[in-house]
Amino acid sequence: MKKFARRRGVISSHLSSYEVELLSSLVSQLVELVSDGEPEQYAAEPADADPFERLVRDLQVDPDEPEVSEDPVVRRLFPNAYPHDAAASSDFRRFTERDLRTKKVSDASVVLQALAETGGGARELRIDPEEAGAWLRTLTGVRLAVATRLGIEDADSAEELAELPEEDPRSLLVSVYDWLGFAQETLISTL
Amino acid sequence: MVPMSETEGGSVSPAGGTAVAERPLEQVTPQTPWVTIVWDDPVNLMSYVTHVFVTYFHYSKAKASTLMMQVHSDGKAVVSSGTREEMERDVGAMHEYGLWATIDKADD
Repeated sequence: MKKFARRRGVISSHLSSYEVELLSSLVSQLVELVSDGEPEQYAAEPADADPFERLVRDLQVDPDEPEVSEDPVVRRLFPNAYPHDAAASSDFRRFTERDLRTKKVSDASVVLQALAETGGGARELRIDPEEAGAWLRTLTGVRLAVATRLGIEDADSAEELAELPEEDPRSLLVSVYDWLGFAQETLISTL
Repeated sequence: MVPMSETEGGSVSPAGGTAVAERPLEQVTPQTPWVTIVWDDPVNLMSYVTHVFVTYFHYSKAKASTLMMQVHSDGKAVVSSGTREEMERDVGAMHEYGLWATIDKADD
């Protein structure tokens, strides 16, 4: 892809059809992960939604479902807010996680929409500067997911991956990770 | 955090002009006994973390960069202080941006 550039108030780049497909797939996977496989549950609510119903739904906790996910990507996307207070963390999670999931799904849909409008890379990708936040947050979510799958836990493990031999099965995912970083870096430089 | 590549320019200019009296984040009072802490992580770009601090907290680029470098070198930094409710709001926002943030009492 070309670096993101900004001209006359529009941020744009040109992605190949492979890149459009790849990014759409990664973002869709993020949506599945963040919405527990039920994205429609986290669609943004209409303005006239009943606040009481919403409160009841927020407070319903499935007793069989562990509060903190077993998936390390989900744990990283929804970290504990109170490191020394499990009860406070649990309360915070119960009251805020739904909104956080909804926000991530909504951000992702902005990205998916813009990618779809390129017609598989036939047209340039255009981003309204007002949507840059949704793009940045979604790119971060996807990078965190890929990094976690690559086992990046600290600076050392990140550095190790930079020196992988090409035959290593992880090297494709590492180049995807690098490409995502490039996209995010150049997008930030246009703001 | 991940540094910007050499090819990316962007010097940070110091805040010039009139000095603005700002309460240092570490100076907390009984009315502001809670803090939001952002922790370093091996994924997020330095430019992104700085961008988040400017966009969400409306810090100057200079202050945001300083805080970002503190996160990077010290492993963490206090990015805001206030009531517990305010800090929960800030931590929630940091999580929206994919940063790793926690809340704690100021006297930790």
